[in-house]
This record gives sequence, C-alpha cells and structure tokens, in this order.
Amino acid sequence: MSETDMAVIKPEMMKPYVWLQTSDDSIQQVEQEIAMFCPFICQEIIQKGMGTSKNCAICLPQQVSPAMLSLILDYCRFHQVLGRSNKERKAYDEKFVRIDTEKLCELTSAADSLQLKPLVDLTSRALARIIEGRSPEEIRDIFHLPDDLTEEEKLEPLRNITDDPRIRLLNRLYAKKRKELKERERIKNVEVEEEHVDERSVDDLLSFINGNDRDPKGIKTSKNKKKNRRKKDQQKNSSSKEEISVPDKKEVLNGHNIRHQSSETDGPCETSNLHHNLHHTYDDPMLEFDDDDTDDEIDPALKAKIDREVEDFARRLNCDWPERIKDFFSSTQERKTMLSTTNGNGFLRRHACMLLPCVSVFYLTHHEFAFRMKMNPPRWPLA
Amino acid sequence: MEHTFPQKVLEHLFSFIDSNKDRNAISLVSKSWYEIERRCRKKIFIGNCYAVSPTTVIKRFPELRSITLKGKPHFADFNLVPDGWGGYVHSWIEAMAVNIPLLEEIRLKRMVVTDESLELIAKSFKNFKVLVLISCEGFSTDGLETIASNCRNLEELNLQESDVDDLSGDWICYFPDSYTSLVSLNISCLNNEVNLSALEGLLGRCPNLQTLCLNHAVPLDQLPSLLSRCPQLVELGTGVYSTEEMRPEVLSSLITAFSGCKQLKSLSGFWNVLPSYLPAVYPICPRLTSLNLSYAIIQSSDIVKLIGQCPNLLRLWVLDYIEDVGLEAVAASCKDLQELRVFPSDPSCLEPNIALTERGLVSVSKGCPKLQSVLYFCRQMSNAALDAIAQNRPNLTRFRLCILEPHTPDYLTLQPLDSGFGAIVEHCKDLQRLSLSGLLTDRVFEHIGTHAKKLEMLSVAFAGDSDLGLHYVLSGCENLRKLEIRDCPFGDEALLVNAAKLETMRSLWMSSCSVSFGACKLLGQKMPRLNVEVIDESGPPDSRPDNCPVEKLYIYRSIAGPRLDMPGFVWTMKDDSSRRLELDVAGVEAQFRNL
Repeated sequence: MSETDMAVIKPEMMKPYVWLQTSDDSIQQVEQEIAMFCPFICQEIIQKGMGTSKNCAICLPQQVSPAMLSLILDYCRFHQVLGRSNKERKAYDEKFVRIDTEKLCELTSAADSLQLKPLVDLTSRALARIIEGRSPEEIRDIFHLPDDLTEEEKLEPLRNITDDPRIRLLNRLYAKKRKELKERERIKNVEVEEEHVDERSVDDLLSFINGNDRDPKGIKTSKNKKKNRRKKDQQKNSSSKEEISVPDKKEVLNGHNIRHQSSETDGPCETSNLHHNLHHTYDDPMLEFDDDDTDDEIDPALKAKIDREVEDFARRLNCDWPERIKDFFSSTQERKTMLSTTNGNGFLRRHACMLLPCVSVFYLTHHEFAFRMKMNPPRWPLA
Repeated sequence: MEHTFPQKVLEHLFSFIDSNKDRNAISLVSKSWYEIERRCRKKIFIGNCYAVSPTTVIKRFPELRSITLKGKPHFADFNLVPDGWGGYVHSWIEAMAVNIPLLEEIRLKRMVVTDESLELIAKSFKNFKVLVLISCEGFSTDGLETIASNCRNLEELNLQESDVDDLSGDWICYFPDSYTSLVSLNISCLNNEVNLSALEGLLGRCPNLQTLCLNHAVPLDQLPSLLSRCPQLVELGTGVYSTEEMRPEVLSSLITAFSGCKQLKSLSGFWNVLPSYLPAVYPICPRLTSLNLSYAIIQSSDIVKLIGQCPNLLRLWVLDYIEDVGLEAVAASCKDLQELRVFPSDPSCLEPNIALTERGLVSVSKGCPKLQSVLYFCRQMSNAALDAIAQNRPNLTRFRLCILEPHTPDYLTLQPLDSGFGAIVEHCKDLQRLSLSGLLTDRVFEHIGTHAKKLEMLSVAFAGDSDLGLHYVLSGCENLRKLEIRDCPFGDEALLVNAAKLETMRSLWMSSCSVSFGACKLLGQKMPRLNVEVIDESGPPDSRPDNCPVEKLYIYRSIAGPRLDMPGFVWTMKDDSSRRLELDVAGVEAQFRNL
C-alpha cells in the first residue's frame, strides 16, 4: 500500500478483522493485516470499502475455495512477519509447494486471481519443475488434459502451408508436369525405359510453364480418371504393409520397373518391423495435396489469377531471377575467382581430397586440418 | 478432474520452462496448450533449415526473439559437401525482417550468409543483440561494417570458424563512439589485422565485455595494452603467441596484464607459441576451467608444465604433442576434467611420429572421474584399451575415436575393434554421440543396435561388411537422430526396409556407399515427409542405369517439401516428374550462370 492509500484510510477502518466470501458462498472472518497482503483484497477494502461486516463481505474470485483461501492465508501469515531471513523464507516456500499437483494447480489459479504474484511465481515454478523432462503423454496424465490434437496437427504437414507462394507455385508446376507425364505413360507401353537427359530448350520449358500444353484437352478430360486411379493407388498403399519391402517381384512405379538387384533379400527384410505407428493413421499428404487439384472446379477468375502467377514465375525465371539466386551466383563466382587467385582456404579445401586420397581426414573439427598438409609455407588456419 | 488454467496463468507457467525439448513437449499436450505455447515461445532451435519453411515458423511463433538454425550436414566440415550445396539464410532473414521486427538473437551454424543478409539484419531489427555465425561463409568484412554501424544494442558478435572475406581491418571502426554494450566478441577466424586502435577504444568503452577472442594477426606485444582495457574478461583468445625473438619486456608486460585479469577462466588462441612466453599465464592457471591449446605447437614438457598448474580444468583441447606422458600428467592433476579433445598435429603423416597412443586415453579415463566427452585422434588402438576405458568411465556421453588410418585393426591381436566399441556402448549407457574408426565388421553395429539406446548421433567411416550393419543401427537405436556414413558397403536393403525409421531422425548422410539410384528414387517417392537428395557432381544420375550407386545421399525429414534452392549437382528424389522439373530448373540456372 502506498502512503497516500494509508492517509485515506479512516481510523475506524483499521479493524483487526475483515469478512471474506469464498467460492462456496460461505463467509469467514480473517485478520485484516494478513488479508491485505493480497492486492485484490487490499483494493476491495480501500477502494470499495468492502469487508467491514458480514453483510458487505468481500466476494473473492470463484477460483478461491475455502481450502485455497486457508493455504493462501498461511502463506501470507508466514511471509508478512518482517524478521525472517531469506533462508527461512526459502525453506518455508519449498515445503509449502510439496502438495499434490491438483492442489498446486488450484492454488496457482487462486493466487493469480488474488494477484498475489510472489505465490503465483512460487507455485508456477513448482509446476514447471514437475513438467520438465516429461513426455506429452505424461504431462497430459498429470494435468488431466484431453489428447485433442490430431495427428496432422502434431506433425504440421505440408497442406497447412498453402500460403507460402513459392510452395504453392512449385506444387502447381509439379502437378501439371506429373499429369503430363502420366498421360504420356498411359499411352506408351509399360517397359523399362532408358533414362534420358531432358534436352528441351529453355523456350520449350517456358512454354510448358506458360500453359501451352501440347494436349490440354487430353489432360483435362483424363483428369478425373487419373484422380480416381490415384485414390485407388493411395488406398492400396495405405492398406499394404508400411515397410517398403524389397521383394523379388518387380515393382512398377511410374512406368519404370525397379527390379531388386541383390539376391540376399531374406533375413533383414523378414525381421524388420515398424517403429513408427503414425504411418498407419496418417494419409500421404503429398498425394492428397496433389489430388486437391483446384483446376477442376475452379472459377475462371481464380484460374486466371493462378495462370497469371505461373506466367509471372516464368517471367521472373526469364529476366528477373530472384535476387537471392542472383546473389548466390554472383557470390559463388566472386568466391571462385578470389579463391583461385589468392590461394585461399577454399582452394585448398577443393584439392584437399586429391592430395590425400588415402587418409581419412574426416573427423576433424577444425577446417584447417584439411589443409595442414605438406604445403610450403604452412598456411595459418582459418579459426 | 481437469483443472483449467486461465490463459495468462499458463503463459506465466510456460515462462519458467525454457529448454527446447520441454517446450516441444508442452506444445504437444493438447490443443489449448499448443495454442498458448506457440504464442509465447521466445526461442526456437531448428536443427535443419530445410526441415521447415520460414513462413511456417513465423506463423506458428509470432513472438520469437531468438532463432538458431543449422544448414549444411556435419560432413561439410570434412569437405564432403561441394560448394554451392545450399544452406542460405537470406530467405529466413527476409521473412523475419518483415514479421518479427523485435528479433534479438540469430545463431547460425554451417550456413551461407551474404553481406546482403547482414545488412538486412542490421537495418531490420532495432533491438538486435546476438549474432553468432559458426562455420558460416559467404560474407565479407563489408557486411560486418553494417552490423557495427547499425546494431546499437549488440551484445555478442561471434564469427567462430567462419570463412570471411577479409577485405579490410577497418570494419571495427564502424562501431560508433556511443556504442558500449559489447559483451562477447570472437573474431578468431579473420585473416587480416583489425584496426588495433579502434579495437582498443572499443574494449575500453564496453564495461560489460566478458569474452574476447582475437585472431592470429594480433601481435603479441599489443596484447598487454588490449588486456589493460578490459581486465574484467572471463574468456580470452590470444593472437599469435610469439615474437620474432624473445623480448623480456614483452614477457614482463604480459605478466602484468595477465595478473590484472582476476576473472579470467578460459584461454584459447596460442597460435605459434614461443614457449618462453608461457610463464606469463601461470598466475591465472589455478583459476582456469577451459584451455584450448589446439593450435599450439609446443612440446610435451611445456604443455605439462602449464597444465600442471591448472587443477580446476574442466575442458582441455590439445594437440597430440602432449603425448601419453602428458596425458598421464593431466590424469594426475585435473581431477575435475569433463571434456578432452586431442587433435592430430600432422594427419597426413602415416608413420607414428608422436608418442601418443591409446595409453594416454586410458590413463585419463582412469584418473578423471568426471570425464564425459572425448574426441581422440591416434594411430593405434586395442580392444583391451577400449574395454578399460568403458569400464573406467561408464559416465561417458560423447565418445569420438579417430584412428587416422582406415581399417586399422587392434594392434595387439590384429582383430577388428568390434568388441572394444561394443564394451563402450554396453557400459556407457548414457552415450549420446559416438564416432567409430578402425577395422570394424557388422558385429560392432550389432552391439550398437543392442546397447546404444540413448545414442543420438553416430558417425561411421570405412566400416562394416554388409547391409546387416546398417540394419542393426536403424532398427536398434531408438533415439537416433543423426547418422552419417562414408565409405561403407551399405546398400539398398537396410535403407528401404527401415524407411519409416528415417522419418524419426533429423538426417542421414551416406557417401561412397552402395545405395543405388533406383532405391533413392523409391525412397523419395514413397516417403512424403522425407527429402531424398542425391549429390552427384559427375552428371545427372538418371543418365546411368538405376542400379548404379549414387555418389552422395542426404536424406532428411521435412514438412516443407523439396527445397527450391538446389544447385545443379543436387537431385531431389521426390517424384519422377518433379525430379525432371528440378533438372529443367537446373538447366535454366546453367543458362543464367553463363550470362
């Protein structure tokens, strides 16, 4: 209480007792000196003149039950005595919070409602110590909390990040590309294909990005078919064993046969097991995200907007490469020239492997050990 | 019975919970705790900058004040990751500049930081306090100028082991005269001399300075006057620790200066030591808890004389010049030692020219009961020694043994070192980090899979016989987060069979192993939350048959999808078509490079 507050109090207010009403509507008398320790009660007395009689008992917040009030008053009664040492107070506090967790929680809320900050801090620290080092399940048990986060929320999958424009754009391009390829594969025979380097020119690439698909109609009409097929594949995937078995039979993936080469498929395969059960419940977000193909039911205005975005991306690719990438290239160039002319550490780093083919200089935690070789004159280390 | 806390009470409660692990745990308790936790989270640690996008992080934690990011895989330290691989921080800085203007701390490790990034940091965060760049690259002293000029509340500038384009030593002059808040400065990685008078002025006006790590270009005869400006230092990294010829007046001024530093607890630097100057630090030795002599080329006798005066040492980093006899002295005098690192003075030399063997490590393990963390380079080891170490020190949490020559067997029995490392994992039940070396078969991995239940990081090279080795580790080590492997005969099977395990880990690195391109593709396509990246500098991996082994493979879990900044030699295995798109983008990139 400040001095001005004291000046305002009339003498007849300095009664030894004050009346408090707890959450169960019961009313009790409490030593005023002790009760004033709580800012809430202090305010009620001074600003509103409450608590002088049973009729105008101070209505404590609903978090304060009789049991909690009793505990809080014990705390106040101890600490309001001026002569105590810090050691005494600390010992009292440590003993004070050795109560069951439920009581501790209640006490925290009660103390908070009465604005008794030191007690809030004390109980909060005690609760924090209880929480530290525990798993989410254990914490849930202790505090009787519901396990209401979904698996998706626990992992925060891709689909929650739709507002990152680059991710959106890239997924858009992937989806388009994937459709085109699937369409091509569907038409071709399923055979082992020789992988070939994509030899299209930049112009071709940009025209692809700009939406000048070679077979727009074809893609559009087969979209639904592909969507269903993908769903079926998805179901098949999720129902089969989660481990990626390496069987003797061929696995067809995107039109390519991936034949298992090695003959020792026994042993490890059989004995392996799944540790992570999240897979059982979690749908493949990447596929789901692809399936969420807004091109289908999209309204023309939004579609035009998206097409503009893609065009924008293409334009930026063409003449306005993102600053960051430009920087990256220019800095790499600079560094390369600098390193080769000044015989800097980078140069040495590049050639370290060539000069020491046999030595496993792999655990070195200082960069300079890679270049502390027989070089004349010895180069000072970087760090 | 459920007790519902008011939101602000929970927030207040959470303010007492600090560690990342605990914050992660409370965020997974329930919807309401998740919401409250995320809104009051101040500090975040992201072990792989590609695991999540900046937007996601910012959206989830709008009140961030401190962010720690790691970029390149650990094996980048050993030149296994080609230049230009990635790890650019700029997109993070951009996002935070807009959304988190009250950001105070940025800590980065193995990331590419440009001058532009530094400028953006300097101009965007008014209350910026801490910049730590460990093993970073891509910036110059120009960038440091903008930091010095603009960050009025800067407390820490730490450039440890970074590759800085040192254009001029005058960047330090850009700290204005009104700037007085420096607490920690580490410029040990810089090559050129900084402006010494500006540095002196800076030290003199920053009363809270506790850490100062100079670079080798600071002459020894300047050290006393620098120290006299900041006698309150707790941690000092000297510059070069010699002069052309021994000068008695330099020695005496050093002695005076060091005697004045009553709080000094940690010493490092010591480039190019002239032993006659070592007595200058004797007055502070009894207080020392950390001593880094890993650049000091001095003989065992000098090292022993120094360490003999440091009974309170907790941490010792030293070159193998210390020899077995020196380590025996450490075992005798440093009873509180917690961490020991012994580096090789001449790793390329194949002949044992130093009397440092396994005996040194055994004596330290016996004599130092609090030893927890070991990094030890040597040329010979035996199963018996490893067994002794394991039994002496079951409280080891980090054990990295580096026998320099690959495939070196037990020198006494000529057997593999399987049983020795087996003893380590069996006895040291709290082992978190392990690096293997020497001749090792699949058996050592069986031991690791069976016993190393708390293991979080494992480094393997030139070890194992077959996929079984990898399978043991992936299926047995429940807490494994990081696995890095080079030159081991591990192929597709173990990887594909344990594919689900990979999503529970931060990352897996495999180079010069036998994982086929086809397996990589399969993994990439089947595992949506894994980014499977193939690094191949010899050309597109799909120009070779699917069963060809890939050069390097880096797999990491991510909720951000494949990254957008892959250079031409990195291929993502996300999807057949997406891989093609990356190839196309790479092609366009190449076009731009030629402009």
